[in-house]
Amino acid sequence: MELPEEKISYWELIKNGIFKENTIFRLVISLCPSIAVTNNVRNGFLLGVAVLFVQAMVNTTVSLLRKFIHPRIRIPIFMLVISGWVSVVDMVMAAYARATYKEIGLYIQIIVAFASILARAEVFASKNKPIASFFDGVGSGLGFLVALVIISFFRELLGKGTLWGYPIIHAKPLLIMVMPTGGFIAVGLLMGFFNWIDIKFFGGKGAGGVEH
Amino acid sequence: MSYKELFKITFNLIILYVAGGLLLAAVYAKTSPIILKKNQEEKKQALKNMMPEADEIIKLGIWHPHEKEAEYYVAKKNGQIIGYIVQTYGKGYSSYINILFSVDKNFVIKKMNVLHHAETPGLGDEIEFDWFKEQFKGKDLEHLKVVKTETKDYIQAITGATISTRAVAEDGIKKGLEFLIKALKKEVKHGATRGEN
Repeated sequence: MELPEEKISYWELIKNGIFKENTIFRLVISLCPSIAVTNNVRNGFLLGVAVLFVQAMVNTTVSLLRKFIHPRIRIPIFMLVISGWVSVVDMVMAAYARATYKEIGLYIQIIVAFASILARAEVFASKNKPIASFFDGVGSGLGFLVALVIISFFRELLGKGTLWGYPIIHAKPLLIMVMPTGGFIAVGLLMGFFNWIDIKFFGGKGAGGVEH
Repeated sequence: MSYKELFKITFNLIILYVAGGLLLAAVYAKTSPIILKKNQEEKKQALKNMMPEADEIIKLGIWHPHEKEAEYYVAKKNGQIIGYIVQTYGKGYSSYINILFSVDKNFVIKKMNVLHHAETPGLGDEIEFDWFKEQFKGKDLEHLKVVKTETKDYIQAITGATISTRAVAEDGIKKGLEFLIKALKKEVKHGATRGEN
């Protein structure tokens, strides 16, 4: 998606990241964390926050460097930017924000390998201005966060009977939902559900037919 | 591809990677002393939490679980030995789990704490939860066994993370306790007084 030079609504960019080009439900990338780290809401949320921050920073940096990066070697450069930001965030948090680091340090380190970050750098940030790229990163990160929270909401509620660790349902939970198998089931059903909404109420074509 | 382009690409890559490397080095130089200091402070605090009633915690020596370096300590109160603290590693699902535990004079576990691990968030990281840690209180060598059913006598496995549970209870703490008992026996045989220096 390339934006025209004139007026870009930043709000549109954020909305685009959450709905039209939602990483998990519409673009269907970065499915690995959407299954691995969504068996409770707290995990889903914290990983979402970490991704949101790294995505915004990576997008801005790539956009600033876009005229200097030779197109043939753009992917190794993007990887450098991503791993660089992840390392910087990891070290700075370990030194100056110990309490936060203990909470989300585990998640920060696994972000390096996320396809969604690389994809936004390639599709958007390498072709657009820094501020627009920043908001695209925020939107895409928010979309990721929202998707993870929705998936983990159902998995934790059904699989453990709790939400954010607090007991809600006092019955024997459906254990399969917190296992990886349950992750596949939850992601599949939710993706189908959002596609159905898109087709039924917005006249879209579902995840296969994202309009650019 | 012409030589000129080849040169340009190489140059481009080198410049950016060197610049990135320098930036990271600068951040590392600034943060690593602080991280080291905070880690040490946290370790001291963690030792104290293991045995709050002790007024003196003395390092006895090092041992090597999984070829890593771990320390063990004796805890004293008014010059009397009241227990021991052992650091140990258990081989988990995706990391070596660094554990600290304390026992009283009869080698019954008082407390345990997970210092560091990289187990799967949401499954294996439940080893950090209080309900799991509290299970270890009052267990001795015979009762450090993982079972998958509900239990009060043994260690109950975390749902979906039996490997992490085993790593903590059997590979980590049980082996650590076995080592401690053996090491102390050896010292007695050699006629050395425990806990000096």
